[in-house]
Amino acid sequence: MTSRASLKGKGKAGKGSKGSEEGSSAAKCVKEWSTWAMKKAKVITHYGFIPLIIVIGMNSEPKPQLYQLLSPV
Amino acid sequence: MGSSVTHAAAPPPPPPSPSSPPSSVGLAAALPPKQDEKAEPEKVDWLNLPCPIPFEEIQREALMSLKPELFEGLRFDFTKGLNQRFSLSHSVFMGSMEVPSQSSDTLKVPTAHYEFGANFLDPKLMLVGRVLTDGRLNARVKCDLTDNLTMKINAQLTNEPHFSQGMFNFDYKGTDFRSQLQIGNNAFYGGNYIQSVSPHLSLGTEIFWLGHQRKSGIGFAARYNTDNMVATGQVASTGIVALSYVQKVSEKVSLASDFMYNHLTQDVTSSFGYDYILRQCRLRGKIDSNGVFAAFLEERLNMGVNFILSAEVDHRKKDYKFGFGMTVGE
Repeated sequence: MTSRASLKGKGKAGKGSKGSEEGSSAAKCVKEWSTWAMKKAKVITHYGFIPLIIVIGMNSEPKPQLYQLLSPV
Repeated sequence: MGSSVTHAAAPPPPPPSPSSPPSSVGLAAALPPKQDEKAEPEKVDWLNLPCPIPFEEIQREALMSLKPELFEGLRFDFTKGLNQRFSLSHSVFMGSMEVPSQSSDTLKVPTAHYEFGANFLDPKLMLVGRVLTDGRLNARVKCDLTDNLTMKINAQLTNEPHFSQGMFNFDYKGTDFRSQLQIGNNAFYGGNYIQSVSPHLSLGTEIFWLGHQRKSGIGFAARYNTDNMVATGQVASTGIVALSYVQKVSEKVSLASDFMYNHLTQDVTSSFGYDYILRQCRLRGKIDSNGVFAAFLEERLNMGVNFILSAEVDHRKKDYKFGFGMTVGE
């Protein structure tokens, strides 16, 4: 009995610590993912912002020609 | 007659135009009508005050006159418009840039860079991007989400890690107030609020909180302007007091003066400058309490072609900066 109770107690204690570990690891997961997402967003913005402006501009009315992008006139 | 007097006791609120007083009620019927309307002061409609200037632009007239973009070296800007809203810009700079140093000597680093930029300007959406040869990107986005709510994003991204900065601003414009919420990287949170108190006076306040350094601050600002002058004052809990006064002497000339006191470093600076806006040129000059003289000339040579001269002389530190340049394009 006592061994079972002690096992149960250990199990509960084990579960309790595992629960808190899970909670903190969930928070850690969220933090890691958000950091990863921010890093990817920064790289995407760094390379893609100016092409985005050019694409939006070339599609606005009146549509400019492609050669006008490169020629100095 | 008695009934008209009791009616006069509770009249409906008069319309804000002073040029049409009610003629049949009260004293106006007894006294002769006023001949000169000019002497009569404008009635202030306290419920319809004008919208104030945004909080960060509260000192904009003084900044425009006293702090032109002085540079040293050669500067060439070319802006090519492809469209009414879309334009590309190429910019070359060769010269020295000042690096902030701890000692009193100025540290100048010779730099040369080419900057490519693209602008898309729509009434509701503005996108401005500039990229330099060393990979730095300056991005600005301004988007009108609704009539009164505007979102602004400002970012400087670099290739070096941990040097990039970004800031989100949400502005709300009311009938006679403006408020703004700022969220930046490094856990920076700030907000400000400015309210028109009278047709000429507006008062504002701002608070900010820096997360990583656990610093916070609060500041107050006031701006009084008439058609010919603007006076502003700003006080912040970081120990900074800044006052400025700009007087428009005529259509072409305005004079500005500025005073700044930093309590923590016991630093006082005041400057006085002039701003001549003539048909073909704009000339700004200023003299400082640190003994610095500066001048900035923009001369319009032709339609869309501007010639720029910049000079800054500091005899105390033996720092002489002269620059010239050209700007082509609108």
